[in-house]
Amino acid sequence: MSQPPHALLPQAFFLKRSGAGQRFCLYHPPHPPQGSAPLGRVLYLHPFAEELNCTRRMAASQARALAQAGYAVLQIDLLGCGDSSGDFADATWDAWLDDAQAAHNWLAERAGGPLWLWGLRAGALLAAQLAGRLLEAGTRPSHLLLWQPATSGQQMLQQFLRLHAASQWLGNGSSDAMPPAQTLAQGQTVHIAGYALSAALAQGLAQARLTPPTAASTQPGRLVWLELSTATAPAISPAADKAAAAWRAAGWQVQTQAVAGPAFWQTVDGGDAPALVAATLAALATATPP
Amino acid sequence: MNLTEQVLRVLDEALALHGRTAAFDRDTALLGALPELDSMAVLALITGLENHFGIAFSDEDLSGSVFATVGSLCDLVEQVLAQQDT
Repeated sequence: MSQPPHALLPQAFFLKRSGAGQRFCLYHPPHPPQGSAPLGRVLYLHPFAEELNCTRRMAASQARALAQAGYAVLQIDLLGCGDSSGDFADATWDAWLDDAQAAHNWLAERAGGPLWLWGLRAGALLAAQLAGRLLEAGTRPSHLLLWQPATSGQQMLQQFLRLHAASQWLGNGSSDAMPPAQTLAQGQTVHIAGYALSAALAQGLAQARLTPPTAASTQPGRLVWLELSTATAPAISPAADKAAAAWRAAGWQVQTQAVAGPAFWQTVDGGDAPALVAATLAALATATPP
Repeated sequence: MNLTEQVLRVLDEALALHGRTAAFDRDTALLGALPELDSMAVLALITGLENHFGIAFSDEDLSGSVFATVGSLCDLVEQVLAQQDT
């Protein structure tokens, strides 16, 4: 991969959170082609636990592509993740939502135009909830860009807990310990695949669902829903079809699309999905209400 | 493509083996023998098989012995497919 010109490198900084440390952020200022105006702003919300590590490369590559197309892009590492303050065990779902909102506020002070909340996997659950919060606060409606969204936090949690079983099959960890779901139910923290998951975070995640905000909006936004598939003829999953219908019924302008590419969030070195970057740029480029 | 070939294709994609599964057969050892097969990769493999074959494993279906060899993995897929058809 060729190195981006220096001017296109993102600005790294720590976002101060009063009484709660600081969050590592990357800001990609908009670099629209000469003669054109900035197109809007994009806030990226990362996926859960190890998926954050697996997806850094794709997120960075999309963020750069968006900045070059003319969007202001902000990436934040949530509490206890990446280079931000705290341990994973300190994180709660509400704290992450507060972080997302603080990042939104920072971005709103620096860039204008349509606001896209871009969520990957569990980040999509956060994005949808943040959209609801912003509507309740009377902010202008936001749009959602969802990559392979988790539609159910409960399912996401169950898959994560399966990691515990998987590591036992590999001969790590004792098998006589209590099952992690039971430990969490007793309000205790579980240690899975190097992550200390608190009962509070597990509970918040389990309750999250990818449903349209309940706050009434006079002008629901756009929802761009992209999935990846290695099939010869990529098609959107039945689960996505069903969830998207609920957003349409709530008045959202929904576009679903499956593009060719690997499940890059599942493994480090999971490969690149250039078709996803292109599909994202194309979807956002279609006329967006302010 | 027979079932073993399909399972190997899913395995190759899930673990990003870049075609190395071409040399695998039913006796090829997986868990403990394939360095790429860590716990994240096991999950990716499970999800990949579920998506490819349109099946859902229950937690009771899954254990370490299932991932011992290519053959044991294929047997489980065959078994779950058969259960679904009945």
